Amino acid sequence: MPIGDFAFLIPLLPALAFVITFFLGKKMYAGGALVPIGAITLSFVISLLITLNLLQNPDQIVAQSVDWFGAFNLGILIDPLAAVMLTMVSFVSLLIHIYSVGYMEHDKSKPRYFAETALFTCSMLGLILSDNILQMFVFWELVGLSSYLLIGFWYGKPSAASAAKKAFLTTRIGDVMFLAGIIILFSDLFAIFNGFPDNAYMLQFTEMFNHIPEIAGMSAQIFGFEVSHLTLITLLFFGGAVGKSGQFPLHVWLPDAMEGPTTVSALIHAATMVTAGVYLVARTFPMFISAPDTLIVIAYLGGFTALFAATMAIVMNDLKRVLAYSTISQLGYMMLGLGMGAVIGMEAVGLSIFHLINHAFFKALLFLCAGSVIHAVGTHDMRELGGVGKLMPITAITMLIAGLSLAGFGIPGTIIGTSGFLSKDAIIEAAFLFGEQSHNWLPYIFAIVGAFLTSAYIFRLLFMTFTGKPRTDYEGHESPSSMTVPMVILAAFSLFFGMFTTGMFSRFLGDTFNFINMNLNELATSLGNYELLHEAGHEPLIILWLPLILAVAGLLITYLIYHRRVLDFSVSRNNPVYKLIYNRYYQNEILTEGFAIKVVYEGLSLALYHIDRGINWIVNAIGSALTEAGHMFRHVQTGVVQNYATAIIAGVSLLAILVKIIMEVI
Amino acid sequence: MILPAIPLPFYLILSTVVFSIGLLGIMTKQNGVRLLMCVELMLNSANINLVAFSSYNNDITGQVFVLFTIALAAAEAAIGFGIFMAVYRMKYRIELNDFNILRW
Repeated sequence: MPIGDFAFLIPLLPALAFVITFFLGKKMYAGGALVPIGAITLSFVISLLITLNLLQNPDQIVAQSVDWFGAFNLGILIDPLAAVMLTMVSFVSLLIHIYSVGYMEHDKSKPRYFAETALFTCSMLGLILSDNILQMFVFWELVGLSSYLLIGFWYGKPSAASAAKKAFLTTRIGDVMFLAGIIILFSDLFAIFNGFPDNAYMLQFTEMFNHIPEIAGMSAQIFGFEVSHLTLITLLFFGGAVGKSGQFPLHVWLPDAMEGPTTVSALIHAATMVTAGVYLVARTFPMFISAPDTLIVIAYLGGFTALFAATMAIVMNDLKRVLAYSTISQLGYMMLGLGMGAVIGMEAVGLSIFHLINHAFFKALLFLCAGSVIHAVGTHDMRELGGVGKLMPITAITMLIAGLSLAGFGIPGTIIGTSGFLSKDAIIEAAFLFGEQSHNWLPYIFAIVGAFLTSAYIFRLLFMTFTGKPRTDYEGHESPSSMTVPMVILAAFSLFFGMFTTGMFSRFLGDTFNFINMNLNELATSLGNYELLHEAGHEPLIILWLPLILAVAGLLITYLIYHRRVLDFSVSRNNPVYKLIYNRYYQNEILTEGFAIKVVYEGLSLALYHIDRGINWIVNAIGSALTEAGHMFRHVQTGVVQNYATAIIAGVSLLAILVKIIMEVI
Repeated sequence: MILPAIPLPFYLILSTVVFSIGLLGIMTKQNGVRLLMCVELMLNSANINLVAFSSYNNDITGQVFVLFTIALAAAEAAIGFGIFMAVYRMKYRIELNDFNILRW
């Protein structure tokens, strides 16, 4: 029996674990943690076997589907892209679950925690192996739901409850766009098929991709611009990705999502939630690459997010918030990588997913290390920390490795380097090529400045936390082995994964879209009107070395400022630039207080108040008019029989006279 | 001796006069018993009409109908007086203006 036949178990086992842990967890050891751990281990093993099988036989992709309703289906599609994602998600999720056993040791509602993380993992795995966009949307929403539950895990804290709401509502904006994209796509396919097709499932990826040229041929007028339906659909899909993956301007929920347990942050930031947006774009990349306008938008927005979030990360004092902005920034790089499809064609998927995987390793590790520090020390304000390295050597070393990987240390031109270096530099180089080709230099500038800031903020974090002397009184101890073992494993992956896979990875992912039998690069060039570069690597040497030089510069500057304290860049609290960045560009003020409260909330309530008053007036007017009439007419009812008799006689007489007159006239 | 036949219009005029007296009584009188008497007057004016037309048309049906009407009038009078007796026991008077409780 081929291993692909077990693919349905990958999301099903965590789902079962969710049910079991949720209802029976209280009676089990460690709050039922072993059930999801076992289930996810099995999912991981199946995913890994499928991936290994695909590596040897690239044509044995898993594609199964059953009828759902109408022209829709439920199905599994595991091609190289999905296989890699499945393996990564189940692996990172597994490690985080193991780590959680130690981290959540003292929490009373452990069963709920493990049940919800199992649901989270299940929905993400389901999202990855969906073979049609509708099923993907269902799991997409499930991911949103579980993130809401977990961010608000400590729902007793008002800040956690409001952060959960914020995350849910902000991503909802993206979800609505995604849904709108699906609806437009559906109606287009409906028109192309001339009704429901008989022998094809409508929203299956295969069908979608096969009809790209037709969809691209349709166009609509929007604000006087001629926009192809393909551009519209891809932009809406990208809107969904913006919400889920925390791109500007829908990134506001991500830093607040820190209110959940640190392990949840690790799950959200590394494995299960934010990667969904990038995955959506990668999954439907044949559509994106045929819509050049969308790719430009993605490149600009991704690059801008990378820089924008990095500037905020550099002034934050909260350990977890620095990491949160770092995630937004890194997601920007992934989006930027996808936007590079305009110059490197379908290889952009490999480029971006490679960074996604590496990022998952080192960002999960960063969060787990931060969680370890918080668990031991009890604070996550970096100003109160310092010198933790002596107390927690394993945590310090693993976090240093993660930091090196995030900042991108390695030797350019070779395959020696941390995972983050190999993937991020590839994206920055692609951005350079993009600039050279299309003279859009801004994404490259964003990316390269972002790289410098990345190095600066992560080493600032490391120096402030682990070196020097403690700034407040605290006692720490190294975390238990259930926490350190996952950290060490992740550290090994952050360090070596890239080196072992760098060449293989893009070749492997290059086979992703083979199942649709189209030359997508040709399709892209014909629809997108751009030239693809067929050989890379002829960049000037300085471009290759610049990211590393900037990373080292970031390291040195932060070393001098925060460790040796010879440089003093400290500015007064009232420095306008500092205030602007520290207050996060006043996004909260602008978006929440300015827009959400002032415009939406108050505007809506004002409008509703007036509408309500109008309706009230109409209803009251009708009511009181009728009452008045009743008051007037009721005096007719005297209660005296004779009056009624008189009225009857008068009426009859009148009738008789009328009849007479009418008869005369006729 | 056969009296010369009284022409039909005379009967009709008599009937109208009786009916109008009854009507006027209903509309103006306050006493319940008088009211019932006026109702009887109106009924009987109808009877006159019926008999007159019956004789004029040589059709017995009209006279049969009158018998029904008389029986009906008796029944009606019985019920009417019954009601007035009950009312009188309640209020010791049968002035109709006092019985206006079914009003606004």
